[in-house]
Order: sequence, then C-alpha cells, then structure tokens
Amino acid sequence: MSSKQSGRVAAASKSKKSGKSSTDEKAEDVLQAVVIADSFQDRFKPFTLEKPRCLLPLAGVPIIEYTLEALAANGVQEVYIYCGAHSEEIDNYIHESARFNPTSIISPFSTLELIRVTDATSVGDFLRDLDKRAIVSGDFIVVHGDLVTNVPLADALAKHKKRREANRDACMTMVLRSIGVEPHRAAKSRVIQPIFVVGLDDGRCLQYDELLPGESFDLDMSIPGEDYEIRADLIDCGIDICTLDILALWSESFDYELPRRNFLHGVLKDWELNGKMIYTEILDEGYACRASNLKLYDCITKDIIGRWAFPIVPESNFVHGQTFKRTMEGSCFEDGVITARGSSVKSSIIGSHSSVGDKTAVHSSVIGRRCKIGKNVTIKESYIWDDVTIEDGATIEHSIIANSAAIGKGVRVPNGTLISFRVRVGDGQKLPENPPARISLLTEGKMPSPTDASLVGPEGIGSLYQEPVDEDEDEEDDQKVRAAALEENSLMYSLGHLSLSSLSISTLASQDAYDSDGESNISGSPGPGVSSPGRLSPFEPDAFHGDAVHGLVDALRADDNEDFDSAKLEFMGLRLANNASDASMRRAIAVAFAHRAAELMSPEHGGLEPTKAAERAFTAKKGAVKFISEVGVGGDSKMLQAEFALALQKALLGIKGLEVLRAGALLAAMLQQLYNLDVLEEDGILTWWADKRAGEDDNLNKVKEKCRVLVDWLENADEEDDDDDEDEDDSD
Amino acid sequence: MAPTHTSHAPSMEKLVKSLKGQPLEASIDAFIYLLKRRQVKGDDCAGATAHILRQVVAKSKWHDVEQLLFKVQSVGSRLVGAAPHEPVIGNIVRRVLGLIRDEASEERNAEDEFGSESASDIQTLAQVTGPPPAARPAPTPLARPPTLATAASFHASKSKSMFNLLSVVDAASAPLTAASTPLSQAAHTSINSLRPEVLDGIEEILDEINQADDQIAGFADIQIHPGDYVLAYLPSRTVERFLIKAASRRKFTVLFVSLEDSRSAAGEGAHAALRKKLDAHGVNTISLASNGLMAYMSRINKVVFSAKVVYQNGGLLVDSGASVAAQAAKAHSKPVIALGGVYKFCPEDPSDEIAGETGDSSTYVSYADGLKVDALEVENTVADYVPPELVDVYLTNLGPQTRHHLAAILADHYKAEDVGFSLIPGEV
Repeated sequence: MSSKQSGRVAAASKSKKSGKSSTDEKAEDVLQAVVIADSFQDRFKPFTLEKPRCLLPLAGVPIIEYTLEALAANGVQEVYIYCGAHSEEIDNYIHESARFNPTSIISPFSTLELIRVTDATSVGDFLRDLDKRAIVSGDFIVVHGDLVTNVPLADALAKHKKRREANRDACMTMVLRSIGVEPHRAAKSRVIQPIFVVGLDDGRCLQYDELLPGESFDLDMSIPGEDYEIRADLIDCGIDICTLDILALWSESFDYELPRRNFLHGVLKDWELNGKMIYTEILDEGYACRASNLKLYDCITKDIIGRWAFPIVPESNFVHGQTFKRTMEGSCFEDGVITARGSSVKSSIIGSHSSVGDKTAVHSSVIGRRCKIGKNVTIKESYIWDDVTIEDGATIEHSIIANSAAIGKGVRVPNGTLISFRVRVGDGQKLPENPPARISLLTEGKMPSPTDASLVGPEGIGSLYQEPVDEDEDEEDDQKVRAAALEENSLMYSLGHLSLSSLSISTLASQDAYDSDGESNISGSPGPGVSSPGRLSPFEPDAFHGDAVHGLVDALRADDNEDFDSAKLEFMGLRLANNASDASMRRAIAVAFAHRAAELMSPEHGGLEPTKAAERAFTAKKGAVKFISEVGVGGDSKMLQAEFALALQKALLGIKGLEVLRAGALLAAMLQQLYNLDVLEEDGILTWWADKRAGEDDNLNKVKEKCRVLVDWLENADEEDDDDDEDEDDSD
Repeated sequence: MAPTHTSHAPSMEKLVKSLKGQPLEASIDAFIYLLKRRQVKGDDCAGATAHILRQVVAKSKWHDVEQLLFKVQSVGSRLVGAAPHEPVIGNIVRRVLGLIRDEASEERNAEDEFGSESASDIQTLAQVTGPPPAARPAPTPLARPPTLATAASFHASKSKSMFNLLSVVDAASAPLTAASTPLSQAAHTSINSLRPEVLDGIEEILDEINQADDQIAGFADIQIHPGDYVLAYLPSRTVERFLIKAASRRKFTVLFVSLEDSRSAAGEGAHAALRKKLDAHGVNTISLASNGLMAYMSRINKVVFSAKVVYQNGGLLVDSGASVAAQAAKAHSKPVIALGGVYKFCPEDPSDEIAGETGDSSTYVSYADGLKVDALEVENTVADYVPPELVDVYLTNLGPQTRHHLAAILADHYKAEDVGFSLIPGEV
C-alpha cells in the first residue's frame, strides 16, 4: 500500500535545540507539523506536469521554502512532508537543500521526514495515513506546501492549548486572515468563496460552506450559539492547529477528501453527533496566504514585491546561496545581474547572472536566474523562471514563462499566457489572446506532444495544452464547476467574478432573510431569520434576475440620499457576470420598480395613492429615472418603449397580494409618471396599447383597460389642451 | 503562564541557552535566521553578536592567530551580510578582531622581553595618562594591570572624560600601527593561553554592552536641568533609562513623539509603562504626534534620541522620523543629544543602501484595505540618516563627546586593518 520513503531521520545527537532543553520540558512540548505537499489539483497545469506545485518558484524561491521557513520561524521541531505525485523531486530537493536536508547540522528541525503515500488520491488519504502511523502526539500543525506567511503562531497555539485543556472536544483551530470588505486582490484571486459562520464571543466555527460564482449561501438555522457572524472576508491560509482527535475524525469518515469542503463542512454539520468543536483564529495583522491557484500566485508575488509580507522579501535571502540586494525603484537584484544602460527595471526581482538588454522595460515582474532578455523587450507583470531566453523586441504581458523556454524575436505574449518548460516560440509569432494559450511539450498523459507549427512557428517547439474533460460531474452543477475550474486555472482576472461574491452571499436561502447592505459581513441571530418568506417569490430562481431585482429594490428602499449610481454599477456588474440579455435586464428593472411602487401602496408603508406611489417610486432616488431610460428602456425607439411598458404591466400582475384592479390603477399612474418624466413618449405608449401581447389574457386585459383613460388623453393631447382628463386618471 | 515559556518561537534567549549543546555551525545559522526574521533586532544585535563570536573563539579549531582571525572574519562577514541593516554587528566583529590582535601582540611582548618600539611608546603614553581623573570609576573590572600598553589604552578609554581624551588624539595613530606589525611573529604565540584571554576580552565587551545604557543614564543629571522641556523621539531602551535616571534627580517635562499619528492610541500604550514611571518621579509627560513636532519646538530645551549607529563622519543612523526632529531642533537652534554606547560607533561612512532600508508596508497601510493595497506603493523607511551638523552632543558610556573626538574613539576601539573586514571573502 503506502510506502515510507527515505526517512533519513537526523541522529538524536543532532536534534540540537531540543537536546538540552528537552530534559526539563515534556515530550509534548516538541512542536510537530505536517506539510501537505500535494494538492491533487490541476490548477497549475501545464507546469505541474513536470514539477510539483510546491517546487515552482515564487519570487525566485520554490514555494515550499516559504512554508518550511514559516515553520522554522515558529519553532517547529519535527516536520513530516506528505507527498503524492512528484515525490522523488521533492525528496531530491529536500536532500540537496543545504538547510533542510535532514542530515544537515544547520537544519532548524530535529526531524524532517518525507512520507510518500503512493495510492493517495486526496488530502484525506494523507491524513488517514498519518492517523495509522501514529507519529504525531499532542498538538500539531497542518499546513499546505504552498503557504507563504510571516505570522507568529504562538498566540494561536497558546489559545488552542487553553481551549483543549478546558474542553477535550475543542480539537482544531484554523488560522484565518481577515482582508476587509473592500474588493481585495487576494479575494478576487480566488474562485471558490469560503463562508465561515463564526461565534462572536469565542471564535467557534459553526458552519462552513464554499460558494462557486453565482451560488448563494444557505444559513443553517440549526447551528448552535446565540450570536455569530457570517464572514466572507477571510483568507483561508490552510493553517490548522490540530489535536489527535482530528485524525480520528478523518479515519471515521473515509469518504472525506478535501479538508475544507468535505471535512470541515461535514464535521460542523454533524457536530451534534461527533460533539467536536472547531475554532477559528482570525488575524488582523501579518501576512498569510496560499498560492493555491495561478491568480493567488500572482497576488502573493506582488505582495512580496510590495513588501506586504515583510520580512519575507527577496533581500532577506532566506534561501542559502541567494544574494539579493535592494536597488532603487523598488527592485531587487542578485549578484551578477547586468542591466543595459538604456533599460528600465521597476518593482521587479532579477536573479543572478541574468542580463537585460538596451531599451528594455521590465515592470512588476520576476526574472529568474541566467535569463537573457534582449533589446527593446517589454515585460509587464510577468513571471519568468530560470534560464529563459527572450529575443529582441518581444512583448510579454502578465504571463508565466517556465524554465529554459525561449521566446523569439518580436513575439507577442498576451495577457494570461502560460508557457511551460523548454517550449520554444519562433520569431514573429503572435500567440492567441482569447483564450490565452497554454503551451507545453507534454500532453495530459505526460507524453511528448507533437509540435503545432501554426502556434509556435516553424522553428518552435510545443503545442497547446489540452484540458482533460471530466465526465463524472453532476449534471446540474456541471457547468458551474467546469467554469470555476477554468477560472482557477487561469492567470487572468475575469471581470464577471469581481462583483459577484458580495451579492451572492446576501441572497440567503429564504431569498430575503436579511437586508443585503452590499457588505459581506452580516451579523445576526437566528431570530429574525425568516421574516417574510416568499415576499419576492414570483421571481424566477435564475441567478441574475433574483440578485438584480434584490439589489435594485434595496437601493430604492434605502433611506439615505445616495445617488442611484452605485446601484446602477452593481446592476451592470451583475449583468456582465451573468451575460444577461437586454430583455432580462428590462424585466428585472420593471419588476424592481413595480415591486417598489406596490410596496408603497401597502398599508405598512403608508398606503399611498397609486399616483403618489408611482411618483415616489420613480423620483425618490436621484438618477433612478435616468437609469430607467438608459438601461431599462435602452433607446428612443417606440418599440423599446413599448417593450418596457409591457414588462411593467406583466411585473405588476406578478406581484402577490395586489388585486388586478389596483394593479391596473398603478400601471396607469406609473405610465403617466414615466410620460411626465420623458422616459416614455406618446408613441411608445400607443404602440404598447396596440400590441397584442398586452391583451393576451384576461388579467392583462383588465389591467390594460385601466389605462384607457390615459391612452385616450394621450391621443387627444395634441388637439385639445384639456386639463380635465387628468383628474380622471386617478379614478379607480 | 508567561508567554515566553509557552511560545515555541525561537528567540535569542533560547539560542544563548542552547549554545553549549549544539554545534557551532548550527548556532551561527540559527542566529543568522533570527536576524533575517527580525526576531533579533536593534539594540539586541550587539550582545547577540558577541555571544556568537565567543562561541566561534571557544569552539572552532585553530592553531594560530591567523586562523582565528580568519574564522572570526568569515563568520563576521556572514553575520553582516545577513543583516546589512544592522551595522552594529560589524562593530562588534571589529572589536573582537581588534581584541584578538591585541592579545596576540601582548603574548608576543610577554615572550619577547624587549618589546617593540612602538609598543613601548604607548606604554609610556599610558603611564603619562595615568589613572583617569574622572570621578566615575571604570565599571568593568580591569582584567590586567594597566601597565600593558594596549590594554591600558583600551580600558582607560572607558572612563575617559573630555579632558584627557584630547591627549590621546595626538597618539591616535600609534596603536593602529603598533598592533598591526607584530602579526607575523604572533604565530609563535601559544594558543593555549590566547583562547581564555580572548574569551575574557569578549566577556568584557559583553559587559560593556550590557552596562552602556546605565552608564549613559549616569550622565543624565548633567544633561538635563531642572525645568527643562525635553523632547524624546520614539524613546528607546537607552532613552528610557536616561529619562528615568534624570527624573530621580530633576524635575522637568518630557514630550514624547510617537511616529504613527493615526494609531496614536497604540503609540501611547507603548510608552505607558515609561510614562507611569516618570509620573511616579513627578515628571510631567506630554504625547505628541510627529507632525505636531515643529509647533512645540520653540518651547523645547533639548531633543534626545538614541542612535542605532554613529558613523565616522559623525552622522547617525536613527529610527525613521528622528531626522525631522533633529532638523526642527536645528531650525530653532535647540541642542540635539544623541545617546549611544561607544560600541555603536562605526568606522564606516554612511551609505544609501543602509539608510534606505525599507520595512513592512503594512505598518502604515493595513493589508486588509484592498483598494489601498492595489493602488499604493508603500515605502516604509525604517531608518533615517541624521547628518553630523545636526547633532550637538554624542552622549556615550564614556561621557559626552563632540564630533571632533569621534576619530579618537574609533582609533581606540578598532584596528585599521579590520575596518574593511567584511570585504575579505571568507569561507567556513
């Protein structure tokens, strides 16, 4: 089954730090950590076809160095590295490392063991294996091999210990970093949105869910505790402080694979059965993040250059043999870097013995060791690993170029391109922009792929990397999951994703359990849970419509004097995210305003007359009228205006609890209001009047009839300047 | 339970405790990483370096002085390379190198009855200088009788007042050459006696470092007069002791300047303990934000801050922002007193690289503030350079000094051949 690999444990005499002091300390005080060095994911392909994720260079250093250094900085003594794929490479790397080599006397760890589980298919298998081995005792830390952090864990460890001593069932503490409610680049970088429900007084985690874009969060009403927060503003840095009970839990539930989506979610859900409690330690300071996808890789590199992870900066030279020094303009160069006089390098990192040619501009990028960058090259926000050659005149934007690749003269590498190991792109080639190319020498099955000359040119090597297609996804989730997976694999930020996360969270299962205030941090207790179920129920459950109507109605309801612009922005964001059609936009806007006007007529909101209600609905908010005419109607043509009137008519009929006759009166009032506000013109309304669809069934007809007076008045408006008719509009 | 006990994080205390039990190389590497992680920083670096170098002398294998010097040089240059932002490490390495050279030449002198000409020169000089006239006795016990030339000048310098300091200036070049000449013969020196001598010497350096703050505080009542308004910029440990000592003798007012005006609450909390102590002595304290500093300057009698390092031109490396205070003081012609033990005097010239050290961006902008993280390039300069003309008095553990005496102090403490030690490529 599983085979233990190369556990060259350092001799006891070399376990120095524990050597003397351990005599008066209990064995339990030796801190142990488990590093999970295989993620069982495809997010870094095609690079991970040849190298494990934890050995990919981030800001010039293999990612695992950051993880091990973080453990050393926290005084961890014994480290167990679990590896699956590429375990030999990791083994070689560790044993060639001057510092972490287990036989090295300068190793900060007394024990460093690599454990290979050959038949593992998930992180769950690793942890179940760990349970069988019984090598850990007491509290231990579980981290992933792609963690970058400068956080001192002493506090979290002490708190965990205290909780555990008070209650044996407090078996895990997760370290999370808060990133605020503003759109943060680390939040934009993730595709799966984790939602933590956290007890306010003790930090106990009560519920955990992961949302894909477009999904909404379901608050579990049975969760224990009085006061809690629903938090979507947390980075999950994957640092768990565990007790042995956690491993037992893993072993009990043999089908759990992922530590969060399966394990955490499941354990919290069944807390009444297992009685285990999991706590969170939410950090407001310090840096902690996992390079768990390409966008986060990008984000962390920027953070390191921007010195947000201090003292994790290149010139700290945490890896033996590094010689980075900080230069002007926020860059760091290693020894032997040659930059030609006419070149400009800003906010970048350049490894030793690389050269940058004349008139070349490098900005916010990382260039590895021994790279040759020609003249007139532009490199922007790109990550270029070791031994890469870039010929004169090439342009590289926000791409990753792996070791020993070569880019020919004048090649344009557009945003989001991934170029794997040893790929050669011939002179003058233009790589595709949308979608950006992922070029590799290997296929999914790690076989050499035939060169695609149309892509890389006649003298080039490499072909497009083809994504394997997963068949065994659930039918309904299929599209979302695949879209999310695609998103995870991409370096580019997609616009749609940005505006989504906060909105989708506020739409709780009951559609309207809380007022969404646009923030992702909602506090509450189960009390007000289901205040008016189904108030917006006529809306179809399609993601765009529900969210959009919600947002608009909330904006209309709000008492503040804010401009309608932000609501408009949100609406447009949603529209882009869902690729909504003009018709569905129109429908959403009509429904929102109809809903608001009907609400104003209801006794709880003052029971306004239809005219007043229509006026209030349209004019209470500055910019709302403009929004309707620009977005809702979308043009001057009478056809479009008629469409909007029709949408309004249907929307009013759809409102529950509004009698048909009152709906008709309201429609007439609204149409007149829109006419007065110059949104709808005479011709538009008349076109609607003539439209067959407006009188298709009984109810529609009844509503329509109510507007006859208005239409008559409009028809005669040109000839007779009659004021008398206006009074009749109001008559029900 | 004390947090230090529960914490697993490595620290200098833990390292010092475990020094004996672990191989030298492991200690050095552990220390280098403490420096890189900033788990040891600022004023703690000097003592920590001395501890490590003592291990180098005690544990490494060497057969003659040359080998020992080479060992110390190469370890020293690694330490300096690990923390180029802490030049004080280089000072301690130079002190230890100088010490080894001194001890070696001493041994040689002891064997060679005639002694070298230059050495006897200093001998007479030392006798002329005689027992220090300053009232304060030398705090470190003298290991050897003061008849030995270099040792005498070394120890005499510790209790020197401004008065007799001038007399050494003339002979400043003498010990430099004196100690460098006999090296070729030093090989004959028996290393058996050299090792304990050098270890004792390092112990003395450690004592000097540990006592420097108290000694500086001893001069407090000379510097601070009753009724003074003293501006303390980001009070360090040294400044704290200085103020508390002064408070026990004098009634005056202290104005604290904290750097982060936006987080003034946190800043006050940091000085709370100090303020409480000063209050107990009846000294008034006022907290200022650094941007309000200029407005108060006309009321202030003197500005006090501690130097990280004093360069050979008299310029200072200080906590960022102190330079503003010094300039404000200059504009109002108020005296600036820089506190710092003699071990902080560095025989180098200031360089951009060191003064331009940038620290953690999240000190000023929270990483949780997504919009700012994206939009801003934050440069958090943690250190400032104060040009020599802005500093009036250097208050050291040897008493107050002026810029003109720096050369003499440097010459007393460092050998010319050790100034550029970190440039010598070394391997261990």
